[in-house]
Amino acid sequence: MTLIRKIVLGSLVPVCLLAIWHAMSLSSSVAPSIGSVVGVLANPFSAPRDLDTTSLAAGARISILRVLLGFSMAAITGIGAGFLIGASRRGREILAPTMSAALAISPIAWLPVSIIVFGLSTPASVIFGPEAWRHNTLDQLSFAVVAVIWYGAFFPIAMNTASGVRGVRKAHIEAVSVLGATRTQRLTKVVLPASMPAIFTGLRIGAGISWRVIVAAEIFPGTRSGLGYMISESHEIGEYRYAFAAIVVIGAIGLVLDGIFRLLAWRVGHWRPKER
Amino acid sequence: MDTREPTETQSGVLEFESVGRRFSTPARPDLWAVRDFSLSCRLGEITCIVGPSGCGKTTLLRIAAGLETATEGRVKLHDSTVCGPSRGVGLVSQEGGLLPWLTVERNVSLGLSIVGAGRSERRKRAARAIGRVHLPPEVSGSFPHELSGGMRRRVGLARVLCSEAPVLLMDEPFGGLDEQIRRSLQKQLVELWTQDRPTILFITHSIEEAAMLADRVVIMSMATRIAEIEVDLPHRRDPLSPEFLEHQLKIRQALLVGSERD
Repeated sequence: MTLIRKIVLGSLVPVCLLAIWHAMSLSSSVAPSIGSVVGVLANPFSAPRDLDTTSLAAGARISILRVLLGFSMAAITGIGAGFLIGASRRGREILAPTMSAALAISPIAWLPVSIIVFGLSTPASVIFGPEAWRHNTLDQLSFAVVAVIWYGAFFPIAMNTASGVRGVRKAHIEAVSVLGATRTQRLTKVVLPASMPAIFTGLRIGAGISWRVIVAAEIFPGTRSGLGYMISESHEIGEYRYAFAAIVVIGAIGLVLDGIFRLLAWRVGHWRPKER
Repeated sequence: MDTREPTETQSGVLEFESVGRRFSTPARPDLWAVRDFSLSCRLGEITCIVGPSGCGKTTLLRIAAGLETATEGRVKLHDSTVCGPSRGVGLVSQEGGLLPWLTVERNVSLGLSIVGAGRSERRKRAARAIGRVHLPPEVSGSFPHELSGGMRRRVGLARVLCSEAPVLLMDEPFGGLDEQIRRSLQKQLVELWTQDRPTILFITHSIEEAAMLADRVVIMSMATRIAEIEVDLPHRRDPLSPEFLEHQLKIRQALLVGSERD
């Protein structure tokens, strides 16, 4: 019952938006009709004939891979840095001001810098050199874009981890210390599980930002694949049905991503009393 | 009936030798939390430290547990100086120190998992400890926040029982509970103590609790020890008996002398 209720209530706004869209498409020559967008969505595996892009599914796949690479690097480095900042006062004093400033800068602002630093290098060009073009997928995970995703996800992950680690109660550490826990056991039995909910909040926020950043980064000139690229290409030729289809897919993937992280966050934090 | 074995009770298991703990703050560079405190907790005895809040009771206990270091003197456990937490000493703090992300069973067997005991042994010993503190077996899978305050204290107690430490340090383990639950927990502690005879150092600010549990009551005020009263009554005491009330009065008087001195 509650699931049906959730679905009905959650669809109210999208349905209204669809109605507005439909009304607009009737009176506009630019806005694509719902039917034409559904047509694109119904054939996710065929590359559009009038557009210089891959298929919707291939675009989504490459966008997801870029996010996965950037996000997992951000998760590893962000959790590590978070522990450093959270556990050591010196670490906090050194890193916190930079972190606060960095957090305020949009990751996209760094894209030109990232392109200067990384150029056109990709994992394929690093590993295979001139043979890179043979490894199509790896050759599309341009470091410049991945670095920007890393930047977007790193800070929320690090900040949340740090606040989780700082919030570990001394009484809990002492509870295992008096039972003879070693330094490593204090970390694995207390610090890590206690900060898990905060870490997962950071990961969830980081994943959301990564997903938003990737689309913006792909719109930027220089990238030749992905959902963002599809949007920018469809804008170029005025075929907006591809852009709308890409937007729908972006939203759907975002929803799934958020759902996964909510579930994981619940798994690691269900021991906490419910807040009222 | 008191079942003490007189031959074993005289040796000191846990000894405080002129222990002092000084803090230095910008406002008060010479702040003594504890000063020149000596005490010898005898084998298998319950020693209570009673005193008003801020008199240094908890600091003493933390030093004995190896969580803090003494700036003067030392604490000896079985003749070796305490310089860090040791498995021979169990600590029960006011909130029980339970880890909220672990179930009751895992909280109780935490000490065993730290020493690397196998899963089946952990489960078996946890179930036994949970039974000994009169908790129903079905709470094993609950999380601490799902339990009442009294039940949480029982879990804390079960944890030290499970670790089988011969010396127990208890920092107001029944503080903040209502009278009835507190009384039942006190009764249970005496019952458990009668079975295993651990050496217990118990901190409280309740005079009645001290008179109920202790073989010896040490009274503290202003960071120092001001009196010691032997409670030579058999355990399972009747709080309305004249002997009990008399001991309670003695403790109260000693505390009053302390507060007048302040």
